[in-house]
Amino acid sequence: MTAPWVETDTTAGALATAAAIGVAFGVALERAGLGSARKLVGQFYGTDLTVFKVMFSAILFAMLGAFYLAQLGVLDLSYVAVPETWLVPQLVGGLVFGAGMATAGLCPGTSCVAAASGRGDGLAVLLGMFTGVLVTGLVIEPLRGLYESAARGPLTLPGWLDLPYGLVMLAVVAIGLAGFHLAERVDSARAARAARAAGGAP
Amino acid sequence: MRWPSRRRWLLGSAALAGALAPFAGSPYRRASSGHGAQRAAGAVDVAELARAVADEEDHVSAVELAAWIRAGEPRLRVVDVRTASEFAAYHIPGAEHIPLERVATARFADDETVVLYSELGVHAGQAWVFVRALGHRRAYFLRNGLHEWLDDVMSPTIAEDAPAEAQAAFERVAELSQWFGGTPRRLGRSADAAAEQALRARRRGC
Repeated sequence: MTAPWVETDTTAGALATAAAIGVAFGVALERAGLGSARKLVGQFYGTDLTVFKVMFSAILFAMLGAFYLAQLGVLDLSYVAVPETWLVPQLVGGLVFGAGMATAGLCPGTSCVAAASGRGDGLAVLLGMFTGVLVTGLVIEPLRGLYESAARGPLTLPGWLDLPYGLVMLAVVAIGLAGFHLAERVDSARAARAARAAGGAP
Repeated sequence: MRWPSRRRWLLGSAALAGALAPFAGSPYRRASSGHGAQRAAGAVDVAELARAVADEEDHVSAVELAAWIRAGEPRLRVVDVRTASEFAAYHIPGAEHIPLERVATARFADDETVVLYSELGVHAGQAWVFVRALGHRRAYFLRNGLHEWLDDVMSPTIAEDAPAEAQAAFERVAELSQWFGGTPRRLGRSADAAAEQALRARRRGC
């Protein structure tokens, strides 16, 4: 039997699936501690690399899972939509998004988590996010030139690098594991410094 | 025996799975073989192509193509698959000529976006299947062919009593049209515009 197993041709089916995935995503974020604005902002200041570790482990897990499930014939990868790349607008959007995330200390997912746990800053970020969506929609015409520039089509790393899929997987896993190792060293060095500072204090 | 910690176990599993990945082959091929499909080099993944068609990811409109050309879209190749004499008589600015029978031997780099067009779109649609079968994923064809280009880009029309939204959209198309040396026209009434559309539809043979 090949995935997707859930029929999402109907709106109700699609919404139910999206709700289930969304709740699971929120639980995973909360369990990873990313509902904390300190952890998120710490990533930008290099004082806490939890976000990097959580996100990269999610990427590796999803990538390896999708790859081997496809190898086993359980998942048909041609069903998996590859979003199109629009290089310049996505870079600009990424910068705006990053600036907002560093300022607010929350990203869209964690703002929902924070709002759901009754925090005012989470609600404020949600409100700001939807206001931003609305304003962008209203001023889309003057932005259209930027919005539609530098189209690269549905781009994947194996397609872009013209390398076998498995080789790219190996490279991404190697980069991920090296990143983990580095992040662990940075975090433990900081913890040791903090312990020394605490021990040396009168 | 002491079991490794959960973290070490997970990292080790990831490393092992990553190390084995290069020897596992393409995930696309294996997934399709589950359905019993025969996939040699150059064979067609029919399900994937059908999905691209259903999701309308197989074609572009003439206005979209014109916008790409004007924006100087990098690595864009506009390919005219008609005969040499048809190409010599008229072609889309910047297009290159690769007749249908030579499409199978043409080479397209992975980062190139290929837009194929013919007189009405049928031959270009067939060429699109060939190009996709050869493994090039960033291929599109011009929906209604050169006729759509001539109608929608070189001589777009709108009724003067069309809604404001349509007028605004027309302004953008008209500007695009003039950039290509086209002649956008405003027709008197909706009825005239409808008659013009009907004439164009008949010319397209639908």
